Amino acid sequence: MTEASSILATVGVLLGAIGTYLLLPQGRGEDKARASYVAGGLFASLGLIGFLALMTLPALSPLDDLIAGSFFYLFAAGAIGCGVMTVTSRSPVYSALWFAGVAVSTAGLFLLAGAQFLAAGNTIVYAGAIVVTFLFVIMLAQMEGKAAYDRSSRSPGRAVFTSFLLLWSLAYCLAGLPGSRREDVAATAAAEDRLRPGRVLGADFFPKAADAAPRVALERSLRPSSSLFIEGDPARPKPNVAGLGEALYTDHLLTVELAGSILFVALIAAVLIADPKPIGGAGKAA
Amino acid sequence: MTDPFSIELLTNYLLVGAALFALGMLGFIARRNLIVMFLSAEMMLQGVALSLVAFGRFHGNWSGQIFTIVILTIAACEASIALALIVVLYNRRSSLDVTVWQDVREPGIEPVDVAAEARGAVLATDADGTETYPTLTPAGVEPAHPIRPWTERRR
Repeated sequence: MTEASSILATVGVLLGAIGTYLLLPQGRGEDKARASYVAGGLFASLGLIGFLALMTLPALSPLDDLIAGSFFYLFAAGAIGCGVMTVTSRSPVYSALWFAGVAVSTAGLFLLAGAQFLAAGNTIVYAGAIVVTFLFVIMLAQMEGKAAYDRSSRSPGRAVFTSFLLLWSLAYCLAGLPGSRREDVAATAAAEDRLRPGRVLGADFFPKAADAAPRVALERSLRPSSSLFIEGDPARPKPNVAGLGEALYTDHLLTVELAGSILFVALIAAVLIADPKPIGGAGKAA
Repeated sequence: MTDPFSIELLTNYLLVGAALFALGMLGFIARRNLIVMFLSAEMMLQGVALSLVAFGRFHGNWSGQIFTIVILTIAACEASIALALIVVLYNRRSSLDVTVWQDVREPGIEPVDVAAEARGAVLATDADGTETYPTLTPAGVEPAHPIRPWTERRR
């Protein structure tokens, strides 16, 4: 990895941490100075720009790539910016609104990564979640952000330090991968070997005999229904919903059953928790 | 034809996912409102889902998207249980503040006055006291039940 990318990661994360710390509700709930908000927003934006600069620029030559790259930056900035605002908003109403921004931006990123069904599903599920959250905010928090606990945080300094230390470590690890800001490809050739996609690995790693035991095992584990592409050819992608359904109901059938069971158990738990009648009451009455 | 989704693109997605996860963790640790904590937990799940989708796209299989569907399911379960808990907790103490539930802590850990802590009050250190060693904390204690059941105190 290069020095420049790690320095960029450090500076970006540090600026973001300072900005987020300034934006978080602090103290005993008294109103903060306007300069604090302005400085916090400035630092957080600088940190966001530094963090986005860590990413690889899109290819400029075909227009498709350029448009996709621009939308990637738009959605990435939207997701992270809305995330900061979700965490730092005084009022839970605004938090829920900003979280809707996060969900929509993530759906856009899903779309760019070729997961159309999930983009739609994410939007629908989280739109429902946001509506329910609004219901709860209107029902329970009538104070409109005037509550003391909305205007102060639990040890904001330590929390910001912990989270942004985690973010910095993750960015530091990712800065070791090859990218346009990280030109030192020769040093990372070994690292890229470990990150080769499974299908390429199967073709390259056991090339000798078609009936060699590891190769047969690998081919059995890499069933054709698990591939995003027809016959592994990236030029011919499968239709999204059909391919996802095929993989879901052949390779991952047990997962579907387990997910259904978990939903059922959670339904019972939620009913039992929220039931206004005491648990033993029904037996005594009868 | 090589896959256009290169490792550089994968790194971009992973960076965004890492940022969402860290921000959600910050919100979960730092905020005191139960509803905002719930939203922050959902944001952590979004970051993980983004990373999984990017990984699946990079490796050219559906596993990432299927894991994300499982995450959506778990998020729905979490939302139902969390909102039920929020209703119950609000009915008991008429507040969405998590710090009013500090008496559910393990015995031996003193409740912290958040307001005093925010003022910067330095807690008295017992540097000259008897030597103590860290111990494993027992499981949480059951909070004292109200005399009348909380269900009868609903307004």
